[in-house]
Amino acid sequence: MAAERFNQISPSEFFYRNRDLAGFSNPTRSLYTAVREFVENSLDACDQRGILPSVRLVIRAEDPEARDPRTYVLTVHDNGPGVAVEHVPLAFGTVLYGSKFGLKQARGMFGLGATMAILYGQITTNKPVHVSSSTDGKTKDTFEILLDIQKNKPVILKHATSKARQRGLSVSITLEGDYSKAGSKIRDYVYQTSLITPYATISFEDPKGETFRYDRILKSMPPPPTVINPHPHGVDVETIRRMILESRRDLVSTGNGAADRLVRALGLKNGDAGYDVVARRVAQRWKRLSPAARLPAALATALKCSPRDLPEMTIHDIDVADDTITYHDGIAGAAKTAQLDRRQPYYSYLEEVAAGEPLQSFLTARFQRVGPRTAERFAKFAAFKPERRIGTLDNRELVRLSDSLQAYGEFLSPDPSCLAPLGQEPLRRGMAKFFEPDFLSVVMRSASAYSGFPFVVEMGIAYGGGIQTRGIKAYRFANRIPLLYDEGSDVVLKVINDMDWNRYKVKGEAPLVIATHICSTRIPYKTVGKENVADRPEIERELRLGLQFLARKLSSYMSRRGKAEAAKKRANLYAKYIPLVSQFCTELAGRKAEPKYAAMLKLEGRDG
Amino acid sequence: MAKKAKSRASKTQKDVLDLLRKHGSRIYDDLDHGRFPNFEIPSRSVGNIVYDTKLRQYVLGKSAALRSSKNTSQLRSFTQLMWLAFFANRLTQEKKSSTLRDVYYSSQAFAIDFDDQSESDNIIVDLEAVLAKPREAMHIFPEERSSVFGDLDIEYTVPGYEGKRMNLSNHPDGYAIGPSLTSAELVGTSAELVIAVEKGGLFTRFVEEQVDKKFKSIIVDTGGQAPRSTRTLLKRLHDELSLPVIILTDGDVYGEHIAMVIKSGSANAAHLRELTVPDAKWVGVWASDIERYDLPTIPMTDSDIKRCHDLQKDPRYSHGIWKKELEVFLKIKRKAELEAFSKYGLTNITDRYLPQKIELARSL
Ligand SMILES: Nc1ncnc2c1ncn2[C@@H]1O[C@H](COP(=O)(O)OP(=O)(O)OP(=O)(O)O)[C@@H](O)[C@H]1O
Ligand SMILES: [Mg+2]
Repeated sequence: MAAERFNQISPSEFFYRNRDLAGFSNPTRSLYTAVREFVENSLDACDQRGILPSVRLVIRAEDPEARDPRTYVLTVHDNGPGVAVEHVPLAFGTVLYGSKFGLKQARGMFGLGATMAILYGQITTNKPVHVSSSTDGKTKDTFEILLDIQKNKPVILKHATSKARQRGLSVSITLEGDYSKAGSKIRDYVYQTSLITPYATISFEDPKGETFRYDRILKSMPPPPTVINPHPHGVDVETIRRMILESRRDLVSTGNGAADRLVRALGLKNGDAGYDVVARRVAQRWKRLSPAARLPAALATALKCSPRDLPEMTIHDIDVADDTITYHDGIAGAAKTAQLDRRQPYYSYLEEVAAGEPLQSFLTARFQRVGPRTAERFAKFAAFKPERRIGTLDNRELVRLSDSLQAYGEFLSPDPSCLAPLGQEPLRRGMAKFFEPDFLSVVMRSASAYSGFPFVVEMGIAYGGGIQTRGIKAYRFANRIPLLYDEGSDVVLKVINDMDWNRYKVKGEAPLVIATHICSTRIPYKTVGKENVADRPEIERELRLGLQFLARKLSSYMSRRGKAEAAKKRANLYAKYIPLVSQFCTELAGRKAEPKYAAMLKLEGRDG
Repeated sequence: MAKKAKSRASKTQKDVLDLLRKHGSRIYDDLDHGRFPNFEIPSRSVGNIVYDTKLRQYVLGKSAALRSSKNTSQLRSFTQLMWLAFFANRLTQEKKSSTLRDVYYSSQAFAIDFDDQSESDNIIVDLEAVLAKPREAMHIFPEERSSVFGDLDIEYTVPGYEGKRMNLSNHPDGYAIGPSLTSAELVGTSAELVIAVEKGGLFTRFVEEQVDKKFKSIIVDTGGQAPRSTRTLLKRLHDELSLPVIILTDGDVYGEHIAMVIKSGSANAAHLRELTVPDAKWVGVWASDIERYDLPTIPMTDSDIKRCHDLQKDPRYSHGIWKKELEVFLKIKRKAELEAFSKYGLTNITDRYLPQKIELARSL
């Protein structure tokens, strides 16, 4: 739906309107954002196919003599599945084209990251993007693409097919950037990404010729997520309304050969038949039409279009009360409304369709963890008949449905199978390798949901050892992406700062690292630039509980450590002073041999 | 007489050495049996300082603090105290004297770290309290010096001078009251009186005017508040040679207190009992002398007045001349120095005032 709205404006306009949000506000930040978009696409692609990622990032200055901000060539190679030839121009040449809209955890979610970066490169340097993709490891397709900014269409400058050495994708853009300022952030990003992706090998060759390489610590991947439906808890009215609309859209889909079925059912020679012919035949044959043919028949008549044009029409809504149907006319490129004719035979059919599914099947089919029995019991709880058609719910009833979905306590907890947390062991091993701490503890909370989206929080706390920082250093991750900018307004920092650390025996500038990872099918980012997470109460709660759990572990470690330290200090003091006391009293007492105090010192050192 | 005196000095030394050995053996035994040793240190806090009317001085009450080598926050100061006992033992055995500052520096040779001299000074007071012996008995002396002059024969006991004799009227500037004089035996004297004066200037005048001969006296300059070695000497002159002691100070509240400290000690030294001369007499300058002798005066300051009020709370000032003179000071709010007598001629004080006061002291 959003796509249709954005299609009304040109991509360049879109870019300019949204460049701040998307993270392309200046040469420093743009370079960093472009790196992220491509690296994250590579990792996403590998994750989804269960491929252990190897990602190589290269940034070179076009003219090494020039001064920042200057022109850079940014290239990212991966060993992922690649993109099928026919999708390459669309994936890299149009805004909001993506394959990740389903309810499944991935780094990318808006379908515009890569294109924004490419657009930024093109606007600042007027150079095309180079994409080279191999899906089979045998041949690769290399494209040079410019974006037609007026038409939101890719312009293919070059396309060649050649032999490939391995499967995977590489993208290369030319863009204006400022590495002298963005460098430390980019290196941080690569470092932190490696921490949260311990199964990936990531290398970065920077413009100064330095290489940063992080080899994989794990040889196995966390299980890949699956696509699933939302959980009934916390789904708000707007989401339900949207889901009802979507369920109806499926019922009134104009695609999937609908036009062909109609042509066949009406006994037409081809799809060019005019509306008059269609309307007449539909009226004659309506009773005999198969259920599969009735839908295109009803739509073509209602929209007064020929079967051939039917696939270009997208139905938005059928309003039975008003007798109107609203739709997007792809030929005219505009939204339209048509009046329904109550006398036509299709009317009662469309009315029926508009009424939608029965509540019970809507619940079982569109939500996770809801079976027919649960749906029935819920309907009773919410005071609806299970067979009630969802399309006929008025606004008050929708609110009641939504409130009841939240309030009903018998739903099973959300299915986290669509989530891809790293898992406690990989997180522990990553943190152990990166920080070499004296103390380390990790926890993964059980799955929870906000606004119908499941999420899982996992986190780790590390203390002392190789950690040199003074005070708490937080590493924030969401869907395996490190969040580096805008930390001030982030929910994680809020939770960390709210903690009374003294209660957990963490005093002063303790060398402490906290890594948090929020996994969700939809992270509630505050901006498109994916830098900070908004504070939803459900997420805040999970973070707080997780952190408290870890802090308690740390606290008992600290008191053990404190006791051991005190004992050691005591032992040291005794070892320093008692021999002196012994020496002095021996002379005072006029004795030759010193008293036998050694056993006493040993005992004290042990007892603490 | 000489013989008797000699045995006294060596007895002090033996007492100290015995005490030290006793503590050393106790601690040795503790360690040998795997016990952490302690010192019991009489508390010197205000609450534990009481005035003993029989002894006529301040003494420490019964409360004492335990300094334990097991307690890590006390271990360091325990060791310091232990070291000091060890060091005092060496000093006493070898009859070597040292100053407070020497002690502070000597500690460094034994890896005993004192933060500063005030820390080591405190430990010295701790040891005094534990042994109930003044530091001078352990051959540790302060830097301050005061002087003595008069017909007094002494015999040194310090190494290198043992047996050597000396008469303290041979040098007109007087003799510094240092370690060797304090530890010397008092052999004999023709004097019948000890006059302690607060000021070096008067001391010189008295020597010039031959007060020692005219009044058969030994003259001691206390140099303001009398140092402990001076008080020890005064006590010994009184106790061993049976000489009465009179004290002449400025006519102000501070002078009155200088006399009181010689007589009955200070709260600071409540843990020691060999520093007082309870029979010593303060003969002037009294507040009441100011009018009687028509002395030139200066007004009392606020702090003088405050000091008067403070002393009024001290039990020793609750009777007799001590009480009366404080009241007069507060009434006239003026004070006079010893030198004020010079208004009537430089020798007025020795010619007129001193004889009257000596006469008065005899009658007291
Ligand atoms: N390295 C790659 N390997 C395979 N497919 C890729 C790769 N990079 C991009 N794609 C495909 O191109 C699509 C568009 O990528 P794009 O970055 O524009 O959007 P996105 O990743 O879906 O969302 P976001 O805007 O959040 O990044 C992706 O959804 C994916 O299908
Ligand atoms: Mg992306």
